[in-house]
Amino acid sequence: MATKQANKQAITLKGSCALVTEFFKYAVNTILFQREVYPSDDFHMVKKYGQTVLVTQDLALENYLDRILKQVQKWLLTGSVTQLVCAIISKDTRTPLERWVFDVKLVEPLADSSEPQAPKPEAEIQSEIRAILKQIISMVTYLPVIHEPTVFNILAYTSESADVPAGEWVDTDPLAIEASKSQQVKMRSFSTDVHRIEAMVAYRYEE
Amino acid sequence: MNPKTPSRQRARSEVQTPLTPSLRNAMNNMNIRSGAATGTSPPKRSTMRSTKASSGALDTTNPFIASSQLPSGSKSRSASKSRPGSPVKRNTIPTNESFVKQASNGVIRKGGVESRLDVVTNDYVPPAKTEMKRSKSTPANRAGADTRDRFITKKEANTDIAAVAQTLEKMSINPAQSSPGHTARLVAATGMPLTRRILGYHEPPPAASSSTGDTMLTQQREFARPLYAQRPGAVATSTGATTNKSRKIPTVPERVLDAPGLVDDFYLNLLSWSVNNAVAVALEAATYIWSADTGNVVPLGEAPEGSYVSSVDFSNDGMFLGVGQGTGDVELWDVETGQRLRTMGGHTVQVASLSWHQHILSSGCGDGSIWHHDVRMSDHKVMELLGHTGEVCGLKWRSDGELLASGGNDNVVNIWDGRVGDVGEGARGSAKWTKRNHTAAVKAVAWCPWQPSLLASGGGTNDATIHVWNSTTGARLHTLRTPSQITSIQWAPHRKEILTTHGYPTNSIMVHAYPSMERVAEIRDAHDSRVLFSCISPAGDVVCTGAGDENLKFWRIWDIQNEQFTKKKIRRKDPAEVEELGGGMINPTKEGVLSIR
Repeated sequence: MATKQANKQAITLKGSCALVTEFFKYAVNTILFQREVYPSDDFHMVKKYGQTVLVTQDLALENYLDRILKQVQKWLLTGSVTQLVCAIISKDTRTPLERWVFDVKLVEPLADSSEPQAPKPEAEIQSEIRAILKQIISMVTYLPVIHEPTVFNILAYTSESADVPAGEWVDTDPLAIEASKSQQVKMRSFSTDVHRIEAMVAYRYEE
Repeated sequence: MNPKTPSRQRARSEVQTPLTPSLRNAMNNMNIRSGAATGTSPPKRSTMRSTKASSGALDTTNPFIASSQLPSGSKSRSASKSRPGSPVKRNTIPTNESFVKQASNGVIRKGGVESRLDVVTNDYVPPAKTEMKRSKSTPANRAGADTRDRFITKKEANTDIAAVAQTLEKMSINPAQSSPGHTARLVAATGMPLTRRILGYHEPPPAASSSTGDTMLTQQREFARPLYAQRPGAVATSTGATTNKSRKIPTVPERVLDAPGLVDDFYLNLLSWSVNNAVAVALEAATYIWSADTGNVVPLGEAPEGSYVSSVDFSNDGMFLGVGQGTGDVELWDVETGQRLRTMGGHTVQVASLSWHQHILSSGCGDGSIWHHDVRMSDHKVMELLGHTGEVCGLKWRSDGELLASGGNDNVVNIWDGRVGDVGEGARGSAKWTKRNHTAAVKAVAWCPWQPSLLASGGGTNDATIHVWNSTTGARLHTLRTPSQITSIQWAPHRKEILTTHGYPTNSIMVHAYPSMERVAEIRDAHDSRVLFSCISPAGDVVCTGAGDENLKFWRIWDIQNEQFTKKKIRRKDPAEVEELGGGMINPTKEGVLSIR
């Protein structure tokens, strides 16, 4: 009984960070596949969140994402990251074409000890994640077709006090798209007991 | 690890502040304007408010109300736009309960109260587009108080002001934070909340493994490579050979054969070892077969006058030898009788690579085409594979004949479906996978004998990289940079190892463990010039290498414990023994050179 209770308990901060990091990994992979930043040859299907997700099998890219996400997870643990952006940039002109923005919000910075809330069931979180991933896939239908070769860049918006491994992460341009030329679509969100992730995409749209 | 990025790195964003004053001005102006606008329109506002108060359900954005407030119709519209409507006119409208209700519902009854009130129903229907523009670009200035209230919802104005206030507040509170110019642009672009630092990973993401057409990048890499390539001197083993301590790999050849006239050309494939333990080697125009069992040398005929042999390959059963000519002909020889069985023409330039699978002899040509020749048929060309733009210098069938791998001078590795089927001439295949990771000519390709899906390929001077591919999924599994040009690659038949031979400057034979890709052994300066060709004995223990120094050397790289493999093993001989090969030509100096090493 006791163990059962423990299992049912709310996700810890650590668990939530891992969950969010994992989600971000699959979201980025899905974006890279759907937006054809990398050729579809490089992706293989894995079962995740009760659906098939396409994940890169290019070792170099995998390692690259791993290194980024490892740091992101550290920041999540300290609560110093507020936003993660996967920007898709034209390879030749370096103009940002799309920004996939994931807002990271803390649901409860301080646990309300007086009245512990009912923990969110894992299945519900997963179905929310599934919904976002599906939405990313469906975005392809109305996002403008990109005709040029692209690269991506991952930006992390952190607080001033965040621990930044020197030499590995550097202050960068936000790769923003001019307001007059961009359109945005808000996507679904998901939340664990600790974090709330809101997704949005802004893309270059010129008439 | 520093807790924070050094300040000099952050200084960059602080420098970019010249946008700030203009931004602040703009924001101030906006505030002033909105204030002015509210100042000029008190009468109108008050009327609206009162109406709202009386009805409670009045939608101020309803155009019908607007039209009712302008009884003089379209003519007075321009006037009302430039200045606030006169309160006198407005007071003439009886705003009774039912009218307001209808108006808010957007319904106008014929003969109802509206018609009696002379409401203009057709003239003034503000076009939607202008509404949008007005509300977006010039909120308070251009339009009168009327339109401002109608088309800009109160909420929007509030959030705008809030955002501006937030920005200003942030700017004033902490001017040292990340550039307000950036922030403002970001806010403008994304509408996302402000944050303090924007960090990006210092490395750009890796290039795609099979992206097509980025010749620029490839070129740049080629230029940059020699600068950053690992210099030979940087290799930990600067002299001699290193071996793994667990295993001793002899660093002297077991046997050396003199091969005068062996062409020093990277693109050719002049060495093959059959299952019958015979080694075929082409020396310029002549082909010789050396029997490893008996040590006999049999000349196998000459290429036509003015031509040369560009490739040799034994059939799977070792009974036939395919010979590619510099003229483009492919010859078929019976090894036993030493007779030429047929000549298969068609190619117009040299055939640099050959590979057998049963009765199919595939030839890779200098023009980038690969042909399947069915040696049983008079109409021998059964298929053409077009996928290379440069010379096909590496060609290997998988042992089961399902896949064919080819490497070209265009830096491409192609994996083809091996099914030939009952297709006639003109049938063309297309590559199953096309890999463009290499940045130099790919001569070295090899299929793994113990895990059929694995393909190893090695690139030329500018690349010097081994890639291991999964041919089923197309994934690149492993990558290893080596110090110099890879001229050939072989999988160990009984061990999880890969052997590569290298060109200038190391001229080495290397053995790498798989899948760790650790170096097991390196035999430096295995030949006096670049090692060009390699083949493995049918027993899988001895490797024969040929090089530009006109020697064939036999290296016992892998020892086989299992007795069943040793029956075909060549007799051990004095390492320095030099056998004569090729028409009785002996070069005595070679022996001396060898004994020194």
